[in-house]
Amino acid sequence: MEYKIREYMDRLFESAPRTQRAYELKIELTQNLIEKYYALVEEGKEPEDAFQITVGSIGDVRELFAQLEDDEQGNPVPQPVFYPQEQPNHKRALVRAVAIMLYILSVAPPIIMNGFFGEWGGSLGTVAMFAMIAGATGLLVYDKCTHQRDVRPVPGNVVEDFRQWQSRKSQKKHWIAAFNGAYWPLVLALYFLISFGTGKWHITWILFLIAPAVDVVVNTVLGAMMDQGREK
Amino acid sequence: MSIASDMIRGHTDTIILAQLMESDSYGYKINRAIQEKTGGQYELKEATLYTAFRRLEQLGLITSYWGDETTGARRRYYSITQAGVNQYYQMLAEWEQSKQLIQQLISSS
Repeated sequence: MEYKIREYMDRLFESAPRTQRAYELKIELTQNLIEKYYALVEEGKEPEDAFQITVGSIGDVRELFAQLEDDEQGNPVPQPVFYPQEQPNHKRALVRAVAIMLYILSVAPPIIMNGFFGEWGGSLGTVAMFAMIAGATGLLVYDKCTHQRDVRPVPGNVVEDFRQWQSRKSQKKHWIAAFNGAYWPLVLALYFLISFGTGKWHITWILFLIAPAVDVVVNTVLGAMMDQGREK
Repeated sequence: MSIASDMIRGHTDTIILAQLMESDSYGYKINRAIQEKTGGQYELKEATLYTAFRRLEQLGLITSYWGDETTGARRRYYSITQAGVNQYYQMLAEWEQSKQLIQQLISSS
Protein backbone atom coordinates (compact mmCIF):
# COMPACT_ATOMS: atom_id res chain seq x y z
CA MET A 1 0.00 0.00 0.00
CA GLU A 2 2.97 2.25 0.62
CA TYR A 3 3.88 1.64 -3.00
CA LYS A 4 0.37 2.66 -4.01
CA ILE A 5 0.81 6.00 -2.24
CA ARG A 6 4.13 6.60 -4.00
CA GLU A 7 2.56 5.73 -7.33
CA TYR A 8 -0.30 8.13 -6.63
CA MET A 9 2.18 10.91 -5.83
CA ASP A 10 4.15 10.21 -9.01
CA ARG A 11 1.00 10.73 -11.03
CA LEU A 12 -0.03 13.79 -9.04
CA PHE A 13 3.35 15.45 -9.57
CA GLU A 14 3.37 14.86 -13.31
CA SER A 15 1.81 18.29 -13.71
CA ALA A 16 4.20 19.96 -11.25
CA PRO A 17 7.10 22.05 -12.56
CA ARG A 18 10.39 20.17 -12.97
CA THR A 19 12.34 21.91 -10.25
CA GLN A 20 14.38 20.73 -7.36
CA ARG A 21 11.98 22.38 -4.96
CA ALA A 22 9.10 20.47 -6.50
CA TYR A 23 11.05 17.26 -6.14
CA GLU A 24 11.87 17.95 -2.51
CA LEU A 25 8.25 18.83 -1.87
CA LYS A 26 7.17 15.53 -3.37
CA ILE A 27 9.54 13.61 -1.12
CA GLU A 28 8.40 15.55 1.94
CA LEU A 29 4.71 15.18 1.14
CA THR A 30 4.98 11.47 0.32
CA GLN A 31 6.85 10.77 3.54
CA ASN A 32 4.22 12.57 5.63
CA LEU A 33 1.33 10.85 3.83
CA ILE A 34 2.84 7.44 4.43
CA GLU A 35 3.15 8.26 8.11
CA LYS A 36 -0.47 9.36 8.13
CA TYR A 37 -1.54 6.20 6.36
CA TYR A 38 0.14 3.97 8.96
CA ALA A 39 -1.40 5.97 11.79
CA LEU A 40 -4.85 5.38 10.26
CA VAL A 41 -4.20 1.66 9.90
CA GLU A 42 -3.12 1.53 13.53
CA GLU A 43 -6.42 3.15 14.51
CA GLY A 44 -8.08 0.13 12.95
CA LYS A 45 -8.96 1.35 9.45
CA GLU A 46 -8.98 -1.11 6.58
CA PRO A 47 -5.91 -0.58 4.34
CA GLU A 48 -8.05 0.43 1.35
CA ASP A 49 -10.07 2.93 3.43
CA ALA A 50 -6.91 4.32 5.00
CA PHE A 51 -5.47 4.84 1.52
CA GLN A 52 -8.61 6.65 0.34
CA ILE A 53 -8.65 8.92 3.40
CA THR A 54 -4.95 9.66 2.98
CA VAL A 55 -5.04 10.66 -0.68
CA GLY A 56 -8.38 12.40 -0.12
CA SER A 57 -6.79 14.65 2.49
CA ILE A 58 -4.27 16.11 0.02
CA GLY A 59 -6.79 18.58 -1.37
CA ASP A 60 -6.33 20.95 -4.29
CA VAL A 61 -2.67 21.10 -5.27
CA ARG A 62 -3.07 23.73 -8.00
CA GLU A 63 -2.13 26.60 -5.71
CA LEU A 64 0.82 24.65 -4.39
CA PHE A 65 2.10 23.96 -7.92
CA ALA A 66 1.47 27.54 -9.01
CA GLN A 67 3.63 28.64 -6.12
CA LEU A 68 6.41 26.35 -7.30
CA GLU A 69 6.06 27.81 -10.78
CA ASP A 70 6.57 31.31 -9.41
CA ASP A 71 9.56 30.25 -7.43
CA GLU A 72 12.47 31.55 -9.43
CA GLN A 73 15.02 30.15 -7.03
CA GLY A 74 14.14 26.56 -7.88
CA ASN A 75 16.91 24.86 -9.82
CA PRO A 76 15.60 22.81 -12.74
CA VAL A 77 16.17 19.12 -12.28
CA PRO A 78 15.96 16.70 -15.22
CA GLN A 79 13.06 14.31 -14.83
CA PRO A 80 14.14 10.96 -13.52
CA VAL A 81 16.42 12.62 -11.02
CA PHE A 82 18.35 9.52 -10.16
CA TYR A 83 19.42 8.92 -13.75
CA PRO A 84 20.00 12.28 -15.41
CA GLN A 85 19.84 12.06 -19.17
CA GLU A 86 22.37 13.78 -21.33
CA GLN A 87 20.88 16.54 -23.44
CA PRO A 88 21.74 16.54 -27.15
CA ASN A 89 24.47 19.09 -27.66
CA HIS A 90 24.88 20.47 -31.19
CA LYS A 91 28.29 22.03 -30.64
CA ARG A 92 29.56 18.77 -29.27
CA ALA A 93 28.16 16.79 -32.19
CA LEU A 94 29.85 19.19 -34.61
CA VAL A 95 33.24 18.81 -32.94
CA ARG A 96 32.97 15.04 -33.13
CA ALA A 97 31.77 15.05 -36.73
CA VAL A 98 34.66 17.27 -37.83
CA ALA A 99 37.14 15.02 -36.02
CA ILE A 100 35.85 11.91 -37.78
CA MET A 101 35.79 13.71 -41.11
CA LEU A 102 39.45 14.64 -40.63
CA TYR A 103 40.35 11.01 -39.95
CA ILE A 104 38.66 9.85 -43.14
CA LEU A 105 40.08 12.61 -45.31
CA SER A 106 43.57 12.28 -43.87
CA VAL A 107 44.52 9.61 -46.42
CA ALA A 108 43.70 11.91 -49.32
CA PRO A 109 46.78 14.23 -49.25
CA PRO A 110 49.42 11.47 -49.71
CA ILE A 111 47.47 9.91 -52.58
CA ILE A 112 46.81 13.20 -54.37
CA MET A 113 50.25 14.73 -53.75
CA ASN A 114 51.98 11.55 -54.81
CA GLY A 115 49.99 11.47 -58.04
CA PHE A 116 50.84 15.08 -58.95
CA PHE A 117 54.36 15.60 -57.65
CA GLY A 118 55.83 12.11 -57.36
CA GLU A 119 58.07 11.07 -54.47
CA TRP A 120 58.70 14.58 -53.07
CA GLY A 121 55.00 15.45 -53.07
CA GLY A 122 54.19 12.11 -51.45
CA SER A 123 56.20 12.88 -48.32
CA LEU A 124 54.63 16.35 -48.12
CA GLY A 125 51.24 14.61 -48.33
CA THR A 126 52.25 12.32 -45.49
CA VAL A 127 53.07 15.31 -43.32
CA ALA A 128 49.64 16.76 -44.14
CA MET A 129 48.03 13.47 -43.21
CA PHE A 130 49.64 13.41 -39.77
CA ALA A 131 48.70 17.02 -39.20
CA MET A 132 45.06 16.08 -39.90
CA ILE A 133 45.17 13.02 -37.62
CA ALA A 134 46.76 15.09 -34.87
CA GLY A 135 44.11 17.76 -35.28
CA ALA A 136 41.28 15.24 -35.16
CA THR A 137 42.69 13.52 -32.07
CA GLY A 138 43.12 16.90 -30.41
CA LEU A 139 39.46 17.70 -31.08
CA LEU A 140 38.29 14.45 -29.52
CA VAL A 141 40.43 14.94 -26.42
CA TYR A 142 39.20 18.53 -26.13
CA ASP A 143 35.63 17.28 -26.43
CA LYS A 144 36.12 14.77 -23.61
CA CYS A 145 37.88 17.22 -21.33
CA THR A 146 35.44 20.10 -21.67
CA HIS A 147 32.37 18.01 -20.99
CA GLN A 148 32.92 16.78 -17.50
CA ARG A 149 29.86 16.67 -15.30
CA ASP A 150 30.10 19.73 -13.13
CA VAL A 151 30.33 19.08 -9.42
CA ARG A 152 28.48 21.66 -7.38
CA PRO A 153 29.10 21.24 -3.68
CA VAL A 154 25.80 22.42 -2.21
CA PRO A 155 25.43 20.69 1.12
CA GLY A 156 22.33 20.05 3.13
CA ASN A 157 19.73 18.24 1.10
CA VAL A 158 18.98 14.80 -0.09
CA VAL A 159 19.02 15.45 -3.81
CA GLU A 160 22.39 17.17 -3.83
CA ASP A 161 23.91 14.55 -1.57
CA PHE A 162 22.86 11.89 -4.00
CA ARG A 163 24.12 13.82 -7.00
CA GLN A 164 27.54 14.38 -5.48
CA TRP A 165 27.85 10.75 -4.64
CA GLN A 166 26.91 9.89 -8.18
CA SER A 167 29.33 12.34 -9.81
CA ARG A 168 32.21 11.12 -7.66
CA LYS A 169 31.46 7.72 -9.04
CA SER A 170 31.41 8.89 -12.65
CA GLN A 171 34.60 10.94 -12.34
CA LYS A 172 36.54 7.74 -12.22
CA LYS A 173 35.00 6.57 -15.45
CA HIS A 174 35.62 9.96 -17.00
CA TRP A 175 39.42 9.70 -17.08
CA ILE A 176 39.40 6.16 -18.34
CA ALA A 177 36.96 7.16 -21.07
CA ALA A 178 39.21 10.09 -22.06
CA PHE A 179 42.16 7.76 -22.38
CA ASN A 180 40.20 5.19 -24.37
CA GLY A 181 38.97 7.86 -26.75
CA ALA A 182 42.46 9.06 -27.63
CA TYR A 183 44.32 5.78 -27.49
CA TRP A 184 43.45 4.00 -30.75
CA PRO A 185 43.73 7.03 -33.00
CA LEU A 186 47.18 7.60 -31.52
CA VAL A 187 48.17 3.99 -32.16
CA LEU A 188 47.05 4.33 -35.76
CA ALA A 189 49.00 7.57 -36.16
CA LEU A 190 52.11 5.96 -34.67
CA TYR A 191 51.74 2.99 -37.03
CA PHE A 192 51.72 5.22 -40.11
CA LEU A 193 54.52 7.38 -38.74
CA ILE A 194 56.83 4.41 -38.20
CA SER A 195 55.82 2.70 -41.42
CA PHE A 196 56.30 5.73 -43.65
CA GLY A 197 59.43 6.70 -41.75
CA THR A 198 61.18 3.35 -41.98
CA GLY A 199 59.39 1.87 -44.98
CA LYS A 200 59.33 -1.50 -43.21
CA TRP A 201 55.64 -2.19 -43.75
CA HIS A 202 56.20 -5.93 -43.50
CA ILE A 203 57.02 -5.72 -39.78
CA THR A 204 55.35 -2.58 -38.40
CA TRP A 205 51.92 -4.27 -38.15
CA ILE A 206 53.23 -5.88 -34.97
CA LEU A 207 52.31 -2.62 -33.30
CA PHE A 208 48.69 -3.79 -33.40
CA LEU A 209 49.61 -6.81 -31.30
CA ILE A 210 51.40 -4.70 -28.70
CA ALA A 211 48.75 -1.99 -28.54
CA PRO A 212 45.91 -4.03 -26.90
CA ALA A 213 48.31 -5.25 -24.22
CA VAL A 214 49.36 -1.68 -23.42
CA ASP A 215 45.68 -0.66 -23.43
CA VAL A 216 44.79 -3.25 -20.79
CA VAL A 217 47.77 -2.35 -18.60
CA VAL A 218 47.03 1.39 -18.70
CA ASN A 219 43.32 0.84 -17.97
CA THR A 220 44.11 -1.31 -14.97
CA VAL A 221 46.64 1.19 -13.61
CA LEU A 222 44.23 4.11 -14.13
CA GLY A 223 41.41 2.20 -12.42
CA ALA A 224 43.60 1.37 -9.43
CA MET A 225 44.80 4.97 -9.16
CA MET A 226 41.25 6.32 -9.18
CA ASP A 227 40.14 3.89 -6.48
CA GLN A 228 43.04 4.94 -4.31
CA GLY A 229 42.31 8.62 -4.84
CA ARG A 230 38.71 8.10 -3.82
CA GLU A 231 39.57 6.37 -0.57
CA LYS A 232 41.70 9.27 0.61
CA MET B 1 -18.07 22.53 8.91
CA SER B 2 -17.54 24.14 5.48
CA ILE B 3 -18.49 27.60 6.79
CA ALA B 4 -16.14 27.19 9.73
CA SER B 5 -13.40 26.05 7.34
CA ASP B 6 -13.78 29.19 5.26
CA MET B 7 -13.45 31.36 8.33
CA ILE B 8 -10.47 29.47 9.67
CA ARG B 9 -8.63 29.41 6.33
CA GLY B 10 -7.60 33.04 6.68
CA HIS B 11 -5.78 32.13 9.87
CA THR B 12 -3.80 29.14 8.60
CA ASP B 13 -0.50 31.01 8.99
CA THR B 14 -1.26 31.94 12.60
CA ILE B 15 -2.29 28.37 13.40
CA ILE B 16 0.96 26.97 12.00
CA LEU B 17 3.10 29.59 13.76
CA ALA B 18 1.29 28.78 17.02
CA GLN B 19 2.25 25.12 16.62
CA LEU B 20 5.88 26.02 15.95
CA MET B 21 5.93 28.31 19.01
CA GLU B 22 5.77 25.12 21.07
CA SER B 23 8.55 23.23 19.28
CA ASP B 24 10.05 22.42 15.88
CA SER B 25 7.79 20.08 13.96
CA TYR B 26 7.03 18.49 10.60
CA GLY B 27 3.99 18.36 8.32
CA TYR B 28 2.12 15.33 9.58
CA LYS B 29 2.83 16.05 13.25
CA ILE B 30 1.52 19.62 12.94
CA ASN B 31 -1.69 18.48 11.28
CA ARG B 32 -2.09 15.77 13.88
CA ALA B 33 -1.71 18.32 16.70
CA ILE B 34 -4.33 20.57 15.08
CA GLN B 35 -6.70 17.64 14.82
CA GLU B 36 -6.21 16.69 18.46
CA LYS B 37 -6.56 20.26 19.69
CA THR B 38 -9.94 20.59 17.99
CA GLY B 39 -11.16 17.15 18.96
CA GLY B 40 -11.15 16.01 15.34
CA GLN B 41 -13.31 18.91 14.16
CA TYR B 42 -10.68 20.60 12.07
CA GLU B 43 -7.81 19.43 9.92
CA LEU B 44 -5.81 21.21 7.22
CA LYS B 45 -5.66 19.80 3.73
CA GLU B 46 -2.10 18.79 2.87
CA ALA B 47 -2.03 21.18 -0.09
CA THR B 48 -3.04 24.08 2.18
CA LEU B 49 -0.48 23.16 4.80
CA TYR B 50 2.46 22.91 2.39
CA THR B 51 1.46 26.02 0.48
CA ALA B 52 1.55 27.85 3.83
CA PHE B 53 4.98 26.36 4.66
CA ARG B 54 6.47 27.71 1.42
CA ARG B 55 4.85 31.08 1.91
CA LEU B 56 6.06 31.41 5.51
CA GLU B 57 9.53 30.26 4.49
CA GLN B 58 9.72 32.87 1.74
CA LEU B 59 8.65 35.54 4.21
CA GLY B 60 11.45 34.44 6.54
CA LEU B 61 9.02 33.60 9.35
CA ILE B 62 10.06 29.94 9.47
CA THR B 63 13.08 27.90 8.35
CA SER B 64 13.32 24.22 7.53
CA TYR B 65 15.89 21.46 7.82
CA TRP B 66 16.07 17.74 7.10
CA GLY B 67 15.94 15.59 10.19
CA ASP B 68 18.57 12.97 10.94
CA GLU B 69 16.31 9.93 11.27
CA THR B 70 18.44 6.86 11.06
CA THR B 71 15.62 4.57 10.01
CA GLY B 72 13.20 5.26 7.18
CA ALA B 73 12.85 8.49 5.22
CA ARG B 74 14.22 11.77 6.50
CA ARG B 75 11.61 14.26 7.70
CA ARG B 76 11.65 17.92 6.87
CA TYR B 77 11.33 19.92 10.06
CA TYR B 78 10.19 23.50 10.39
CA SER B 79 11.39 25.99 12.96
CA ILE B 80 10.06 29.44 13.79
CA THR B 81 12.41 32.42 13.41
CA GLN B 82 12.56 35.55 15.58
CA ALA B 83 10.67 37.41 12.84
CA GLY B 84 8.11 34.60 12.99
CA VAL B 85 7.69 34.99 16.74
CA ASN B 86 7.13 38.75 16.35
CA GLN B 87 4.67 38.14 13.54
CA TYR B 88 2.82 35.59 15.65
CA TYR B 89 2.25 38.05 18.51
CA GLN B 90 1.14 40.69 16.04
CA MET B 91 -1.36 38.31 14.42
CA LEU B 92 -2.61 37.31 17.84
CA ALA B 93 -3.22 40.96 18.79
CA GLU B 94 -4.98 41.59 15.47
CA TRP B 95 -7.21 38.58 16.04
CA GLU B 96 -8.18 39.76 19.53
CA GLN B 97 -9.13 43.11 18.05
CA SER B 98 -11.18 41.64 15.19
CA LYS B 99 -12.87 39.18 17.48
CA GLN B 100 -13.99 42.03 19.71
CA LEU B 101 -15.16 44.13 16.78
CA ILE B 102 -17.10 41.31 15.15
CA GLN B 103 -18.66 40.46 18.48
CA GLN B 104 -19.84 44.04 18.85
CA LEU B 105 -21.10 44.21 15.29
CA ILE B 106 -23.04 40.96 15.09
CA SER B 107 -24.62 40.81 18.54
CA SER B 108 -28.22 41.96 18.57
CA SER B 109 -29.47 43.94 21.49
